[in-house]
Amino acid sequence: MAQQDARVGKRYAQALFSTAERYDVVQSVEDDLNTIVNLMEKDRGFRDFVLAPYTSRDEKVRIIERIFSDRITALTMQVLRVMLEKRREGEIEAVRDEFVNLRRIATGTIYVTVTSAEAMPDDQQKTLLAKIAKSTGKKVEAAFRIEPLLIGGVKVAYENYVLDGTIRGGLNHLRDRLKHDILKQF
Amino acid sequence: MSTPQKASPAKTLLIVVFGIAMAVGGYWLSVNWHPAFVENLNQQGIPLDLGKTVSMIGMFIMLFPVLNFFYFKPLGGAIHERTTELEKTFSEAEGLRADMTQMRSDYERRLAEKEAQAREQIQAAVKEAQQLRQTLMTEAAAKADDLVRRATQEIEAERTRVLSELRLEVVNLTLAATEKLLGENMDSTKNRKLVDDFINKVEVKA
Repeated sequence: MAQQDARVGKRYAQALFSTAERYDVVQSVEDDLNTIVNLMEKDRGFRDFVLAPYTSRDEKVRIIERIFSDRITALTMQVLRVMLEKRREGEIEAVRDEFVNLRRIATGTIYVTVTSAEAMPDDQQKTLLAKIAKSTGKKVEAAFRIEPLLIGGVKVAYENYVLDGTIRGGLNHLRDRLKHDILKQF
Repeated sequence: MSTPQKASPAKTLLIVVFGIAMAVGGYWLSVNWHPAFVENLNQQGIPLDLGKTVSMIGMFIMLFPVLNFFYFKPLGGAIHERTTELEKTFSEAEGLRADMTQMRSDYERRLAEKEAQAREQIQAAVKEAQQLRQTLMTEAAAKADDLVRRATQEIEAERTRVLSELRLEVVNLTLAATEKLLGENMDSTKNRKLVDDFINKVEVKA
């Protein structure tokens, strides 16, 4: 079921992205989707309202229009209305994720997750992203996270690659090597 | 045993007729013939009547077949029957004895066969028992060897496992201590240097 829902969300996202690209409102639509999803993530009441199965479709459409009609683009509003009428409100987050993914593919952008033990200074962030952009030849979008358990260093993850330069990663690697050697002896 | 000879009826009839003739003739002589020497003998006190004597002989001759028919013949038949019965009895006894001898010899032969068969069975059973004993001893020895081998393998595997776990525990403890030391000695300056080194050395794959 989840796989089917993911496929449904992907279809909505593809349709929405191609339309947004045609009208050159890709960034606006993405911002709209981010606004809606962020609101759902932060406001539990709003999320419950959107996902509530017992609220009628018309009522949902009416209230959503009242909230977002003057804040989001008409295209986003139309898609939102269709999804509510089709009872696909549970796919909104999937549509946003897939829309962002399509936008990154279309613009040749890679998404990089940078995790460090402490907050990285701006110069280090820029140097790191510049190196990644240069090496991959693509634009880079980055999310910086702080994870004290890494002890020290930084870990970069993008697409199917993980570049681990943390002390925690080094220790784990050392542990795996030693365990492998020990088990290999027997 | 010889059977008594039977007198022919004609001969018997002839003898009876001859006896009757002599009896009748003797009686006639006794009545009608009195010779002088008989008279002399009577006077001398010796009574002799030839006619009666001839008549008596005729009576005896006539009586002999009657006795033969009513007495000697049944007596001879009884004797002959008795003899025949005795011979039959002896013959049956001989037959029974022969049968008994045959049975005894059969019995002895069968007894000997049974004894031989029993000996063979006993020898076969003893041989089978010896083979079974040998087989059981071989199996027991193989099982014992297998048990010893498996026990040795298990001991070796357990020893290896314990040694491996011990070494892994040593690795974990060492790494935990290292992690603790690194965590305590890490500061922003060192972290920054680590990140700079990483940025300089890392090879980003496209």
